[in-house]
Amino acid sequence: MRILGRTCVLLLLVLAAMPSPPAGAGEKMLRVGVNDADIATLDPHRGVQTSDKHIMASIFNGLVRFPPGEVNLDRIEPDLAERWQISTDGRDYTFTLRRGVRFHHNYGEMTAEDVIYSLRRAADRNLSSFFKTFEAIDLVTALDRYTVKINLKYFVPSFLGSLIPYHGGQIISKRAREEIGDRFGANPVGTGPFAFQRYAAKQLVELRAHKHYFRGEPKLAGVIYRFMPDLSTRELAFTQGELDIIEGVKEQRWVDRMRGKPNTVMDIFGPGELACVFINMAKKPFDDIRVRQALAHAVDRGEMIAVIGKALATPNLGPLPLGYQGGIDQGLPGYEYNPEKARALLKEAKQEGLAIAIVLSQRSSFVRPMEILQEQFRRVGIDLRINPVDHSTYHAQIRKDVNGLVLYIAARFPMAEPYLTEFFHSRSIVGTPTAITNFSHFRDADAELDRAIREVDERKRFAFWRTAQEKVMEGAVAIPLYILRAAYARRSNVDLGYDLKDSLFLGPEYTQATDIR
Amino acid sequence: MRYFLRRILLGIPTVLTVLTVIFVVARVLSGDPALAVLGESASAEALAALRRQLGLDRPLLVQYVDFIWGTLRGNFGTSLVSGAPVVATILNALPYTLQLTFAGIAVGSLLGIPLGVMAAIRRNSMLDYFLRTVSLAGLSVPAFYSALLLLLLFAVQFPLFRVIGDPSGLDFWGQARALVLPALNLGIIMAGFIARATRAAMLDVLGEEYVRTATAKGLRPAVVLFRHALRNALIPVVTIIGLYSGELMGSSVLTEVVFNRPGLGKLIVGAMNQRDYNLLQTLIALFAILIVLANLLTDLAYGLIDPRVRYE
Repeated sequence: MRILGRTCVLLLLVLAAMPSPPAGAGEKMLRVGVNDADIATLDPHRGVQTSDKHIMASIFNGLVRFPPGEVNLDRIEPDLAERWQISTDGRDYTFTLRRGVRFHHNYGEMTAEDVIYSLRRAADRNLSSFFKTFEAIDLVTALDRYTVKINLKYFVPSFLGSLIPYHGGQIISKRAREEIGDRFGANPVGTGPFAFQRYAAKQLVELRAHKHYFRGEPKLAGVIYRFMPDLSTRELAFTQGELDIIEGVKEQRWVDRMRGKPNTVMDIFGPGELACVFINMAKKPFDDIRVRQALAHAVDRGEMIAVIGKALATPNLGPLPLGYQGGIDQGLPGYEYNPEKARALLKEAKQEGLAIAIVLSQRSSFVRPMEILQEQFRRVGIDLRINPVDHSTYHAQIRKDVNGLVLYIAARFPMAEPYLTEFFHSRSIVGTPTAITNFSHFRDADAELDRAIREVDERKRFAFWRTAQEKVMEGAVAIPLYILRAAYARRSNVDLGYDLKDSLFLGPEYTQATDIR
Repeated sequence: MRYFLRRILLGIPTVLTVLTVIFVVARVLSGDPALAVLGESASAEALAALRRQLGLDRPLLVQYVDFIWGTLRGNFGTSLVSGAPVVATILNALPYTLQLTFAGIAVGSLLGIPLGVMAAIRRNSMLDYFLRTVSLAGLSVPAFYSALLLLLLFAVQFPLFRVIGDPSGLDFWGQARALVLPALNLGIIMAGFIARATRAAMLDVLGEEYVRTATAKGLRPAVVLFRHALRNALIPVVTIIGLYSGELMGSSVLTEVVFNRPGLGKLIVGAMNQRDYNLLQTLIALFAILIVLANLLTDLAYGLIDPRVRYE
């Protein structure tokens, strides 16, 4: 027995002493731990999940882009296109492409043919998850090998913004896509600073530096994204120096704890997701505006932010996320925290003792704000009963219109359109064939939203959007709560190469300038 | 051989029943693979079109017959979400799960059987109470919690192993090293079961007349213990190991997540969350087959331990 015990201990020590360098040891590999179980696909016309977007940000370019670390429609700059011209009616775009841009894995030079192929694919409803964004495209033609012309069927506000490397704007290699076929999503070929190297399901994606990257050879040898949905393990691996960057949780206490660790920098960045409660007017008693107003008056955002964390959450008073083009946060009809008024409104509507039962995603980002609301509603005499379900079930259930109140946390392209249309246009009402995410069944701003997206004059367009937002707030069909920013921890020797204020990719972007010192 | 074939044939209805149950359960659950592919901004029209493209709009019976027919021909299709072939995805992860399961059984047996024997020999002593308490703790501690404790101890406090136990891309010794903590984690839990079963079985056997006879004949205590008592006590223990090995495969999910190992457990959770029916059904079928095989191997092991056992 003693011999057996000693043998086991000896074997353990031998194995512990065995050198087993991880892949890429000795090279400048950036190791990132993400809070996802896996990617769905790295096909840029299909990838919708958080990790898909985060990883594709380093593989692909678009014709134009936001400067790294920024999300600002006024700061769009050249990416694969050197320059462009837009016709006065905003329907014709002519792009002059950079010369000498090389695709990964020797797939040759990027030309007009690849741009045409990519944009047509992005607009194909059978191949693209983002075809709606590109449905205005009438023709895409090559004027020569390095010049592409896009004709739109009708004017689209900031169509240029659709051509950034995000949600279908990425340019892929035509030859690679045709050769690789349906396996392209697991073998993507782009022009970005890092080329796809390998994928292990539920484990990792490894990218390698693209030595011919047109902005210069990356300083890193590569990037390894590890799928580690367990926060404790991510944090332990970061603490032990096995990871350089980790995705955190959107909780103040986590941020505070990580700030106390040595050699650690916290990146908290936007544009953030808007947490908003939509009130379903198609269900009684929410068809009564007094009840909806009572719910809005019962919400104390200050208390909510104090619990969620000031470093991460900012109150959002309008129906659009803060900072979106066309959005307004001041001067809208508002509902200040006023429990007495809430009780009075409920009494007037004969809804004292109102009980509301809802299904809710069991993710903590949903449960925490709703539990705070539950307590705040209780103070005005409303009994909110929460039935937690898994996240997929929640999404399916709310699209079947089962809830009177729907908590939704979302970020979209940073402009009033498509957000307002998806959440407040009658076309988007859940339960209809064209449904998207109008959980309120609101239909009073259709005219403004339809006119805004065809209006070339920016001043008038903004006025339509303003009216639409005013109507939403007057109708009290949504209770915007707060904007929640993302939190990442980074080792202090990792230099992203830019100042990270915002990222559409929901994670830091790794560029040719990113380095480990 | 006839016994073996008969057991295999008897396993087929079990696997088919499991397949039918999982087919029905997966579709009764609310959720939509189309939403996982197209994202939250997708319109109802686009979702419906993709469901048509994936064949999810067909009557359930047609889908079921198609699924069973495909399974019988070995055609499991592709993942509804990623489009990758289901078989290739599973085959990539299977070796790691088998590695972990066998290593967990080995650790559990190597720890559990000696502990059970020691507890039985020193019945009602301080050692017995201590071992029983320890084995109870092994049974009670959740796998993810013990995994974190192991990491804190052996990867942080005494950094002998890495926190990220991903064996992919490593050589043999690297893989063996990456296996130590996950196998210990599963093995410790299993050791609790085995130790308690061994102790109970040994106590029964040690009271038998043939053990007393062997002792009276002057055989050395070690010979009596290991050749006569333990061998006979092992039959119920092997049953426990066989039954538990199926559960071990299932409970490896949390261990895989915490140690960042690839494996079938992680695939199942992902497929469930994304409602990836093709991948989920095939994985469950594989688990069912592995459990049927584990039970069969357990039965065959009886013959090796006890020559009186014959298969007819």
